[in-house]
Amino acid sequence: MNQRKAMNKRFNFTGRKRVARSLVEIEVFDGEPREFAATINIDQLDFPPDADVIVEATCAGSSTICRFPFGTAGEIKQPENALLEGLAGENVFFSLKVVDRTDRFGRILGLAENIRPIRAGKQTATGRRGILPIERAELGDELWRLEFRDQDVFLCVNKNVSGLSERFGFDPLFFTALYPGIIRTILHRAIEQQPDLDSDDDRWPTLWVNFGRKLHSMHEDPPPHDDDEQCDEWVEDIVGEFCRNHKVKQKYLDCSAEGDWGDDE
Amino acid sequence: MKLRRFTDSGIEQFRIFLAKARENANVLVPVELLEDDAHTEVVDPEIEIEDQSFATRADAATYFHAKLAVLNADDVNSDSGMWSWLSLYYFDQVCPVMNGRRTVRNDYTYIYEAGVMRHFYRHLLYVAWRIKQIAPTHNRLFLHSKVHVMDKVTTEVMKRLYLTRIPAIFEAIDRLYWNETSRGPRTSIVNPRKREMPGDLTTRLPIRLRQLEKTYDLYSLSADQLLELLGEEFALSPAN
Repeated sequence: MNQRKAMNKRFNFTGRKRVARSLVEIEVFDGEPREFAATINIDQLDFPPDADVIVEATCAGSSTICRFPFGTAGEIKQPENALLEGLAGENVFFSLKVVDRTDRFGRILGLAENIRPIRAGKQTATGRRGILPIERAELGDELWRLEFRDQDVFLCVNKNVSGLSERFGFDPLFFTALYPGIIRTILHRAIEQQPDLDSDDDRWPTLWVNFGRKLHSMHEDPPPHDDDEQCDEWVEDIVGEFCRNHKVKQKYLDCSAEGDWGDDE
Repeated sequence: MKLRRFTDSGIEQFRIFLAKARENANVLVPVELLEDDAHTEVVDPEIEIEDQSFATRADAATYFHAKLAVLNADDVNSDSGMWSWLSLYYFDQVCPVMNGRRTVRNDYTYIYEAGVMRHFYRHLLYVAWRIKQIAPTHNRLFLHSKVHVMDKVTTEVMKRLYLTRIPAIFEAIDRLYWNETSRGPRTSIVNPRKREMPGDLTTRLPIRLRQLEKTYDLYSLSADQLLELLGEEFALSPAN
């Protein structure tokens, strides 16, 4: 059986139009708080001219969503105040909503999600930053945590531990000890989401399953999500390939050579 | 007494006290810590705090809103030292002696962990202020409890940030789940066994709103519009 066919596909039953992200250009300016400007080109999408256009901004590890009215589909206007108040993270992402104000009040007619700034100052990341962006966040006594959002999965690291986010990015000890487990966790969660691998969806489950498929020793598609045993096998194959490709054991031995943690006295 | 905030060392001292109080119910509350310059600092601008008695969480919410109005709300939201200091100041109310003994709960009940998503809403005094901040009206379902009680309705809503961001949600919840006769929550709206019940607050409402947000911009709806979209399941139940 073709395993890919066994996976459920995500259908859009909502009737709303998908707005390509390329139609929304965002620039974020440094400051306290930061500010942004958006250029929105949805003229060709035939939305009712009186439908509201709204831009929302949020960032990983934040409870805040900032909303900005951008006029109507017939007359788009940059708001006077486009301050990103309450958003401290480096990874800011935006959504555009076109909202019905007549027939079915509040219905979303068009949507573009996970829009990243194309230009930004030093305080803000631009574009997509790989499939596992690192975000500094308040984590109490925890050092790190995976945060699964609708569009992305983030590796949140404790912002109050100096140098920790850099170590997650560059320290081979962290890489070798933690990343195989992180990959295992995310792949299992990605399979559960049953992404449509044939679509151009760029949500994290699709990206991660495609990442896994490329890494798998036989380049196999993931098994059906409810077959736990096969899912385990598929994921373990990928984690094994990851460790082999990156020489995880050897890297660990090399970087821990300075400190002798062996049993001999 | 002037309102103060704990420094990091002050929070640590408070934490040590909480640990001791769990092991020994007779340990004295370290009130001397409240004005100890080595572990606290005065909040600027200066605010006079009185030894109030709060009959309900609503009383605390009203009091803190009046007292803290001069401070920037974002600063109040993130001031772990101040809220933790307030817990010690009002310790007999947030951790009362009942039947001859205190039951000291988790640290985050008294030590405010700003920004820590799993704990921030569990601080007994902060949550009173926070609810009134995001829901100046239609908040009685969340504020009718005693100050030392962290009720299920409050935790189930406050832990779901996507719910609290919907402007009309508090009015909708009030209309769905407040019982005018008993002046409290309707019965069966929260279920400790997490069994799904039609129209309940803890499982069905979040699921239904997650469905609706795929199709509707929930932020722009009034309570009437939101209730209409929620559908009959919510109109008919739960029973009083």
